[in-house]
Amino acid sequence: MPHSELTHYAVSVVGSDKHGIVAGIAGALYRLGCNIADSSSAMLAGEFAMILIISHRKPFNKSMLLEELKPVCESLDMTLSVRHLPSGEEHRADTEGEICQITVYGADQPGIVYRITSRLALSQINIMSLQTKLAGTDEEPVYIMLMEAMLPDSLTPESLEELLKGLKEELQVEIEVRVVTPVEL
Amino acid sequence: MAIQPILKYPHPVLKKMAHKVERLDTTIKNLLQDLLDTMKAGSGSVGVAAPQIGVSLKVCVIDVSTSKHGKDNNHGLLCMVNPEIISASGRRAVMREGCMSMPDYTGDVERDTDIKVRFLDGQTGKEREIPATGFEAVAIQHELDHLDGILFIDRVVNISTDLFRRKKYV
Repeated sequence: MPHSELTHYAVSVVGSDKHGIVAGIAGALYRLGCNIADSSSAMLAGEFAMILIISHRKPFNKSMLLEELKPVCESLDMTLSVRHLPSGEEHRADTEGEICQITVYGADQPGIVYRITSRLALSQINIMSLQTKLAGTDEEPVYIMLMEAMLPDSLTPESLEELLKGLKEELQVEIEVRVVTPVEL
Repeated sequence: MAIQPILKYPHPVLKKMAHKVERLDTTIKNLLQDLLDTMKAGSGSVGVAAPQIGVSLKVCVIDVSTSKHGKDNNHGLLCMVNPEIISASGRRAVMREGCMSMPDYTGDVERDTDIKVRFLDGQTGKEREIPATGFEAVAIQHELDHLDGILFIDRVVNISTDLFRRKKYV
């Protein structure tokens, strides 16, 4: 189906984990005739979170979507949010730069995420995915950040490591940069 | 010969075990040339296997010498007929792969880092055995998988799940 005939929405569903969340949401979308394009779900502490990009053939509107999804979310006690995507936003912008996996970990302290990510933002580095986890023990909590980021053309993975060196010493954390740009085979 | 269109999954030939080649005749030589032309036409492609152009035979071409990952460590152009991996060191590493037969998807795949591969050399007609490491070893394993009906997506590992999996200590 040509893309121009489709309308896209971003749907997110969050709530305490239980059986049947994915099936409940997928069922509602199926009954509506929606396509699930990209989606990602994760369990964070005891919460289950789903983010989905869905599409539907025009004409279709937000209230039709809410009418089917709302009762399902209420019965599952999940918080629902729906956003219509303006045309053009359903595609990721073409990406050219080197993709790096950045791992940061160390003794937990305030500001790790803020300090690291604001340094990246300052250098026009685009975060594509980010997961953080509070691990270790109650007495010695360890904070772990796992990111994938796209470097601008002007930056190499080595220069990124150099760039983060100061923060590494200041925060006393380990910072590892690994290139994960896909190879076409 | 000619550039052939690359078949995309779910074309059934991509999931089939390819047949062994009986004789290195003109048909196979022509097939090798088609594979070569198709590989050169694909931007950045370092290998094409016969099933990807619809021929279910154990034939593939590989050349990582033009890629930045393989330019310092390669055997140049490899025209492989009936190739098989005869040994692997057991050391493995992860690389993020993409494939022309599965557009718009990439995934992390763990493969052997040091392998030995035996094949009939399509250029000389002689049996050949080479050790391969690094990116060339990855490319060989990816293309040989195509000859067994295996796509990289069959081997994708999810690093983040592994990293954050809670272990049970007994």
